[in-house]
Amino acid sequence: MRPEPSRLTQRLESDPDSIQRDLMKLVLTLVELIRQLMEAQALRRVEQGDLSPGQVEDLGSALMRLEEAMSELRERFDLSPEDLNLDLGPLGTLVRREP
Amino acid sequence: MSSGRASSSSRTAARKEKADPMPASGHYLVAVSRSLDPHALTGVQGIRDSAVRVVECEGLQAVVCDVDLDEFGEEPLRRNLENLSWVEEMARAHHAAVCAVDAVATTVPMRFATIYESEDRVAEQLRVLRDPLTEALDRVDGAAEWSVKAYAAPVAAEAEDRPRAETGAAYLARRREAVEARRRRESDDEQVLSDLHHELATRAVASRRLMPQDPRLSGRQEPMRMNAAYLVTHDAAQSFSDYATKALADRTELRVEVDGPWPPYSFASLEPS
Amino acid sequence: MTLESTTRASAQISLVDLLDRLLGTGVVLVGDVVISLAGIDLVRVQLEALITSVRSELDQGEDAGTDEA
Repeated sequence: MRPEPSRLTQRLESDPDSIQRDLMKLVLTLVELIRQLMEAQALRRVEQGDLSPGQVEDLGSALMRLEEAMSELRERFDLSPEDLNLDLGPLGTLVRREP
Repeated sequence: MSSGRASSSSRTAARKEKADPMPASGHYLVAVSRSLDPHALTGVQGIRDSAVRVVECEGLQAVVCDVDLDEFGEEPLRRNLENLSWVEEMARAHHAAVCAVDAVATTVPMRFATIYESEDRVAEQLRVLRDPLTEALDRVDGAAEWSVKAYAAPVAAEAEDRPRAETGAAYLARRREAVEARRRRESDDEQVLSDLHHELATRAVASRRLMPQDPRLSGRQEPMRMNAAYLVTHDAAQSFSDYATKALADRTELRVEVDGPWPPYSFASLEPS
Repeated sequence: MTLESTTRASAQISLVDLLDRLLGTGVVLVGDVVISLAGIDLVRVQLEALITSVRSELDQGEDAGTDEA
C-alpha cells in the first residue's frame, strides 16, 4: 500500500480587524501570480519577434505600471514579496522572488 | 491498543489475539534484520507504545508491532495521512523503532505503514523476498545514510532605488536580462552540483538523487538545488562528511548542508537495480 | 520509553527528511486555503484548480498568433 502525499489545509484565521489584510494577502498573491505569468508570456512574445515596436512599447509600459501598482498595494497592506509567495507543489513555484 | 512483552513466539501472539477479538489489529512491519537477537529489543516500543517483537523466517528477522486497524486500515489510513500532525507523530515513532533495531543489527528499514494481516503473512513475505532482502542487507551492512543538500543562497533583491525604466521597451529588456541571468546562474549551479554529486558518489557505496523538498515542509525559502542521499561505510563517514561540507565553501551562491548518519532508508529498495 | 539508541546512525533527522524517506521523496503538501471568521470555517479556496486553469489558458494563447488584446 503506497501512501498518497499529505494534504495540508492552511487555515486563514481571521477576525474583523485583520480580515481586510488577510483577504488582501490572498487576493494579491493571486494577482502577483497572474502578473508574473503575464510578464513571462510577454517576454516570450517579444522574443518571438512578431510584435511591432509600438506593441512592444505598449506591452512594456503596461507591465511596468502593473508592477508599480502591485508594489504600492503591497506597501499599503504591509506585505513583503515573501508574504505573497505561493508554493503549488507539482505546479512549481510559479511566483518567484525577484532575482 | 496493545502492549506486551517482546516475544518471538507466534503462539503467544495468537493467544493474545483470541483474548482480545476487538479491535482488529494488524502487524506493522518496522524493519528486516539478520543475526538479530530478539532479546536485544526488550523494552523497545513501536507505534503507540506497542512493544516490538520478531517474526523469524529463512534466517531473517522481521521486526513488527501491533497497530489498530481503526487507525491503520486502508480507509482510516488514507484519512489520517491528510493530518500532518498525525503523520509526524507516527513517523517519529517509526523512526525511533528503526533506530533501536539498527543499533543492534544490520537492518533494512521499511517505508511507512507496511502492514500485514497476520504473522504468517509476514513470514511469507520474508520467504518470498528472501533474496532481494538478503541483497539489501548485504548492501547496507556496515554503512549508514548521509544526506547532502544544496540551497541557493538568498539573492539580494533588485535595488529598490534603481531608477524607473525610461520606456516600456527598456522595462521589458531589463526583465528579460534578469530572467536570463537567473537561468545562467541556475545552469552554472546545476553543473557544479552535478560534479559534486559524482564526486561524492565515488566516496560512497551507493547514491541517490531525491526530489527537492516542498518549502512548506522544510521551512526554507531559498530554492533547494540538490537533495541527495549517500550510503557510506562507517569507516569512510568522517572523511565523507568533511569533504562534502567543505567542497563548495568558496562558492557563496550555494549553501551545502550535510546530515547523518541515519538508518539506510533510501537504500532499502527491494526492486532489482 | 524507547531504548536509548547507541547506534551510529542515530543523528537527528528533520521531519521533512523523514517524510521524504518514509513516504517517498517529493512529498507534496497540496494547499487549500480555508478562510474562517470568528472561529467559523466559511470558505475553501482550491488554489491548484484555479492556477491550473489560468496556466492552460495562457498556454493556448501562445499558439493563437498575433492577436489584438
